[in-house]
Amino acid sequence: MSSPSLRRRRGWLRHSLPFWLLLPTILVLLITQVYPAFYTIWLSLQTRQPDGWEYVGFKNYTRLFGLGQFAESVGHTIVFLIGFVLVTLVLGFGIALLLNRKLRLSGLYITLLYIPWVVADIIAGLVWRLLVVPDYGLLSGITQNPAIFPPNGLSILTAVPPQPWFGDFPFPPAPAMTYLIVASAWRALPFITLLLLAAIQTIPSEVLESSRIDGARGWQTVRFIMLPLMLPTLIVALFSLTLSGMNGVGMVFSLTGGGPGTSTEVLSYLLYSTGWTQREFGRAGALAMLIAVVNWLLIVGTLRVSRTDEGRGGEGNV
Amino acid sequence: MFKQIQQLRLRRQTHSTQRATPFFGRRMAERWLFNAVLTAICLVMLLPIATTVLISFKREQDVVRKPPVILPCDTPTSRFDPTACRWATEGYARVLAPKSTGAWPLGFTLTGNLLRTYIPNTLLYATSASFLVVGLAGMAGYAVSRYRFPGRRLLMTSILAITGIPLLTNLLALYQLGVDLRKAQIPFYDDRLYIVLVYIGFFLPLSVWIAKGFFDAIPRELEEAAFIDGCSPIGALWRIIMPLAQPGLMSIFLLTFVNVWNEFIAGYLLLAKNEFKPAMFGLYDFLSQNIINFQVISAACVLIALPVIILFLFTRSIFFRAMVEGALKG
Repeated sequence: MSSPSLRRRRGWLRHSLPFWLLLPTILVLLITQVYPAFYTIWLSLQTRQPDGWEYVGFKNYTRLFGLGQFAESVGHTIVFLIGFVLVTLVLGFGIALLLNRKLRLSGLYITLLYIPWVVADIIAGLVWRLLVVPDYGLLSGITQNPAIFPPNGLSILTAVPPQPWFGDFPFPPAPAMTYLIVASAWRALPFITLLLLAAIQTIPSEVLESSRIDGARGWQTVRFIMLPLMLPTLIVALFSLTLSGMNGVGMVFSLTGGGPGTSTEVLSYLLYSTGWTQREFGRAGALAMLIAVVNWLLIVGTLRVSRTDEGRGGEGNV
Repeated sequence: MFKQIQQLRLRRQTHSTQRATPFFGRRMAERWLFNAVLTAICLVMLLPIATTVLISFKREQDVVRKPPVILPCDTPTSRFDPTACRWATEGYARVLAPKSTGAWPLGFTLTGNLLRTYIPNTLLYATSASFLVVGLAGMAGYAVSRYRFPGRRLLMTSILAITGIPLLTNLLALYQLGVDLRKAQIPFYDDRLYIVLVYIGFFLPLSVWIAKGFFDAIPRELEEAAFIDGCSPIGALWRIIMPLAQPGLMSIFLLTFVNVWNEFIAGYLLLAKNEFKPAMFGLYDFLSQNIINFQVISAACVLIALPVIILFLFTRSIFFRAMVEGALKG
């Protein structure tokens, strides 16, 4: 049919085809993901001088750790993450259980519930700001009422944070932080609900059937059958929520702008303000590295869980 | 995952046939209760959006009322009078800035920056990034799904590890790279190419995984039959696999489109010129100018969010498939 050399060339093409198919993807990822990672490591060890960069070792890190702003920001991030993850997981699981009832309108409910996820984070922040803006917001009549939220009501502009319970740790959170948690949970809830619903629906019906025959009812089924079987998905959801909560900055931007004062300055916002407001690139690089290490730990955690489950997680953009 | 979803659908169908026999009493009451609770949850979830839409149609006097009113329909004599509603499009008018020109067909042109500059920019970035992501992810996903080569597993794991690195961590480096590229004065270069590249790089890893999942679900025998009939690998990819993979690629396209449309921080920081900035920056711009005029801000929000919401409502099943595929691959 064809000469041996041509056949050999065809064979070569056939063997190297996967390489050519993968090459563009690998190149793009090298430029936009791998190179920036190494650049950030380099940047975190430099400081900007009038005539270029100077190597300063770990000085950026030690300076960063010495900043009161950093410690405070870590506190804010922890409070935010715990509130955000808890609220979203609990509500998401509850709604998923309700949706699992296979009502005739389930499809409509899922569609309606999903709309907040399609709304951009910066718009979601604005939308919530319009709801709770002092005096004029639709909810501000409720949230500013001292009888409902003692002692002074929750105003998004309250600059004086409440008296902390544990030393400097910012708990209980400032009103603005509460709003940030609620608004972020509102936007992440649809995705988590759908994720958990999918997990509930993959529980074999035989298992639920036999548990019912064994006499498990309502809450018992949830507690002893569903939760253990869904544990991998719950952990994936937990990690992906933490990841998106750690790194989301749009909501902070449009809802509170880090304020009032510094009461909603989470690490991601601190990175933005260090890098682009104060233009301290070296210190911002050190901060970016810290965030990256936490992200990386979360990703490794997700991978390990998914591997044992033969599944996969790590949706980066909840 | 697909098989599971199909099984679910089957299960759901059998369930609904069982349900065809009506029964009353406790089960019925329970169903009503669940419906009521879910309706309430949907209303609460949609409340913020509904409020924004309402505010966007109010006049300034009604927006800054204390206490706030939900519908601007009250008169001095009655609390609610549907004939006296004061709806207004003042907010939209300020965003779109129509200027009358007398020219056909509308007699006016819209001169607002949002519609003239920012939304077309976003449309350009989102469309081009989505097309390229679909192309690249399709190729890469196919290669990984169909060929066994050394380092395949490692490659997929590292792509997955990259998935999780958020844009924020890389932004410092990407910003410096952008500044250097701008200084280097490469011909043909402008920030738009760069931002599209950044968006592609950011949304590609997840898409590769989704694409691999979709290709894995296509039986290999189809291609083998094509090879036996004398089709080349690329021919088989184009003629046999691509049509079958189309729904999956479509969902990657939509997911990337919405993600790029909604992205703010990269567009805000990496683009230097205002004429290249995306819609989310336009919104931020309004925010910094009109902090008091809520009806203007909400009109801008509605105009920017509406296209994506409509897109989502028409393509929701494709969306859900991609979400589940991306989140829970098994």
